[in-house]
Amino acid sequence: MNRVQQLQALQADVDVLAGADEATRLDGLPSWDSLAILLVISHFEHVHKIEITGAQVRACRTVGDILALLSPCS
Amino acid sequence: MPNLQAPGELFMHCTVTHVRLAGLAVSTGSAVRDFIADGLAAGVELGQLERVAKTVGLRKRRVAAPGVTALDLCEDAARRLLDEMGIDASSIDAVIFVTQTPDHSQPNNASLLHGRLGLSKSAPAFELSMGCSGWVYGLQQAALLCAHGGAARVLLCAGDTLSRLTNPGDRATDPLFGDAGSATLVERTGHAAPFHFVLGADGAGAGSIMVPAGGARQPAAEATRLETIDAEGNRLHAENLQMNGAEVFNFTLREVPDAVNAVMKQAGWTASDADALVLHQANRFIISTVGRKCGFPADKTPMDIVEQYGNQSSASIPCALIDALGDRLQTSPLKIVACGFGVGLSWGAFAGEIGPLVVVPLRPFPAIT
Repeated sequence: MNRVQQLQALQADVDVLAGADEATRLDGLPSWDSLAILLVISHFEHVHKIEITGAQVRACRTVGDILALLSPCS
Repeated sequence: MPNLQAPGELFMHCTVTHVRLAGLAVSTGSAVRDFIADGLAAGVELGQLERVAKTVGLRKRRVAAPGVTALDLCEDAARRLLDEMGIDASSIDAVIFVTQTPDHSQPNNASLLHGRLGLSKSAPAFELSMGCSGWVYGLQQAALLCAHGGAARVLLCAGDTLSRLTNPGDRATDPLFGDAGSATLVERTGHAAPFHFVLGADGAGAGSIMVPAGGARQPAAEATRLETIDAEGNRLHAENLQMNGAEVFNFTLREVPDAVNAVMKQAGWTASDADALVLHQANRFIISTVGRKCGFPADKTPMDIVEQYGNQSSASIPCALIDALGDRLQTSPLKIVACGFGVGLSWGAFAGEIGPLVVVPLRPFPAIT
């Protein structure tokens, strides 16, 4: 899965990221909240078989930062 | 005789034979709360509410009427169960009460229920301070008392009124919880199939679900009721139930599938052998995610109950058994896998063939006429 496919897969599971790109700031998304964080964790677990923590997601500033959590494993 | 594990094994597990689950009843809170209506009243945008309702599965919940406690809910469930079964309370050999919302710090709810039901002085009454995993822990204790502890009939009551602990201004936690009390009768028998249990805990994560104040460490005081506002605008104070949803979700994904797989292995079952996986009814999102990870299809994983009643803590598994499987359990044996998980952090998994048994219909308390 390349970076574009990774973003598309993430957007399919995390509704509030629809239309975002890697540079999109998470704190600028109106519905970026605790539910969105759960959806990201679930996406990583289900699609990539990777366990990430809420703290890791909360530390992300942009959509690209979320995708970067895949890097050590991709 | 219980079959216990060797020291140092990954999970604490045991198998108990010659016991059966004889009956189930659950009494729910009587006040219906609607997630969308409550959210709109709190000033939350409709679109945001609908998104959460759809994704998490929050619709309605039933909370206890003013003055009604977990003890009252469990007493009602117990009386209805004993009435339905035609059993005299004096024949009960022990009562176990599972709750984190007792009437008092002393005495415990088990003793108060013992008195209310007029149980025999020879019947011990004790409490387990456990939440969402508690029904499985209580069932294991009841089964051990029957198999190995000299009891022939044990009443297990499990329930909470967690809606009293959440802050109405905490939109992340308050809408999740309903109130309920359950009664489960466990009996010694000569023929029943074995009950398998796997229990575990991760106390390092205990702070992920916590009511910080109100106990001996930080007694309730005016200062512990001062509200703060978190990054998402949720209001809460130190006497409220506080939950780190992401950490609890991580814990659930990490521990529950392994516990379910371990207890099924102990039973010699695969997911296709079992009739149902009955998970603690936290919310639809968690149940569907965990059920999928455990390898169970959605039609074997009940999850409708939580959208009607909310997260009922230790009463949620018996409530789901009644709601989703009650008709079948009254007439035939079913291979049930169940897992409770939550505060502690703790988890308990069960695998066993139960039924036919007496299933009392769900009812709110006080009864709505």
